[in-house]
Amino acid sequence: MPTLRELQSDFLAAILDGGVGSSVRVAEQFQARLVAGAYGTARGLAVYTNNAEHHYLESLRKSFPVVQRLVGEDYFTQCAREFRRDQPSRTGDLHDLGGPFPAYWHDKHGDDAYRYLGDVARLEWLYQEASTAADHAPFDFAKLARVPTEDYDALRFILHPSARLFSSEFPALAIWRENMRSDQEPEIIDLGAGGERLLLARAAAGFAAGIDVRPLVHAEFVFLQAIEGSLGFGACVAAAAAIDPDFDASAALETFVYGQVIVDLAAEHP
Amino acid sequence: MRAQASLQSMPAAAGIGLRSPHVGEVLSTQPGVAWLEVHSENYFAAGGAHLSQLETIRERYPLSLHGVGLSLGSTDPLDRPHLEQLRRAVNRFEPALVSEHLAWSSVGGRHANDLLPLPYTEEALRHVSRRIAAVQDALGRQVLIENVSSYVGFAASRLREWEFLAGVAAESACGLLIDVNNIYVSACNLGFDPDEYLAAIPPTAVRELHLAGHTAVPAPAGELLIDTHGTPVADAVWDLYARALARCGAVPTLIEWDTDLPPLTTLIAEAAKADAYLGALHADAA
Repeated sequence: MPTLRELQSDFLAAILDGGVGSSVRVAEQFQARLVAGAYGTARGLAVYTNNAEHHYLESLRKSFPVVQRLVGEDYFTQCAREFRRDQPSRTGDLHDLGGPFPAYWHDKHGDDAYRYLGDVARLEWLYQEASTAADHAPFDFAKLARVPTEDYDALRFILHPSARLFSSEFPALAIWRENMRSDQEPEIIDLGAGGERLLLARAAAGFAAGIDVRPLVHAEFVFLQAIEGSLGFGACVAAAAAIDPDFDASAALETFVYGQVIVDLAAEHP
Repeated sequence: MRAQASLQSMPAAAGIGLRSPHVGEVLSTQPGVAWLEVHSENYFAAGGAHLSQLETIRERYPLSLHGVGLSLGSTDPLDRPHLEQLRRAVNRFEPALVSEHLAWSSVGGRHANDLLPLPYTEEALRHVSRRIAAVQDALGRQVLIENVSSYVGFAASRLREWEFLAGVAAESACGLLIDVNNIYVSACNLGFDPDEYLAAIPPTAVRELHLAGHTAVPAPAGELLIDTHGTPVADAVWDLYARALARCGAVPTLIEWDTDLPPLTTLIAEAAKADAYLGALHADAA
């Protein structure tokens, strides 16, 4: 009698690989080990095959609604199937599947007129990450008060777990906003309008709060990028000043602390 | 305002499966439904608004966490990261009930993300019972195990599904979540008597019942029922539900609807229908 392990391995091969090359013969042989009603074991197995694909594709549709709207449902489905062949599910949590999908679009259309799809897909995935990242209490100013002034240069700030920095070649946010609403025809976006530097972070208050997506000037972006990279405050200010000598670090710090984008100090500042 | 549901008790009344398109309406209108069930994996995130929303809902309604991705019956090692996420969700929301499926979804690290049937053998019975016991140990509480809809069975099976389910309950001390629609679907597909199934269920182990819609699909030979969760509960399933209540007594009952999600009022109307069956049972007992 076959072991449970053998039956499960053959079952999964039959429903996930059953239509591919030499596996067809394996799947047909495996059907002799199954029973079903008058509709037959092949039809019964097909329900599982269809369900597996349906759950995977639905997960991608939910994570990337704007990409789907931009390319149309048929082409999205075709590409999602191709992506699934390359990236079969290795997780019991469908929410995890879409991480490599932006890179798929970037690779598939990196050299043609649809290169912007990679940027839009990356923005959609960061939005999902920002939505589900850990919570964090607001900045504790008493902690900062305990840091001696002479240590300020080495101070390492911590961004809110939901904070995501995004830079793009194309106006991804404009494309995304225009296509988020399905009840109206999107305006034409000028793809030559240039890229964007954005900060995504969960809005500060209220359980119904969504994600703030705000444009950053170049120096702000570099400043937050340096904080994200765990540089000391002095190095963060220097990085921003290298972009814009007039960068006002105190004002930026105040904005991002009160906006609950910067929420903590690193562990060496207890 | 409802009393805070702090006692973790689940009423012997009808609840509904809460899906994300309905969350806002449930928060704002606080509909009169006895309890709510959500998919555990939808609340595995580390943080965010939807967790806060469920915490608010949890203060107003008894809650059940229903897992779909743990792959309990798999011969791969137990997915400890997934189980840890479930444990965190259970600790956070303190649900009245926690349930999983008598199924597997993955082997060799590959996932079908669907509820696949087990062969009903002694080997599988021992294996899945040990796994359920391990999950209960990790969560520090009893878990309910649900029968799934089947489209094929295994020639290697030596036990009937109901014997297997009763065996699992006895060996692992789990509770049972009996999905009446799944019994009906599998009975039609695989040709067994659903009443023989009901008669073999240990009634004291049953803590929850599920009701959902299915779809009949014509096949070149015969007909196939698919557990779509996208239609009203079929009349034949309501009839079977009445017989399940007669067997198990008044048990919390859930209306599940996942595809082609209708307005919330439709789900509440289905729940009211289940409540009428439960009420008739109470009246008979009085």
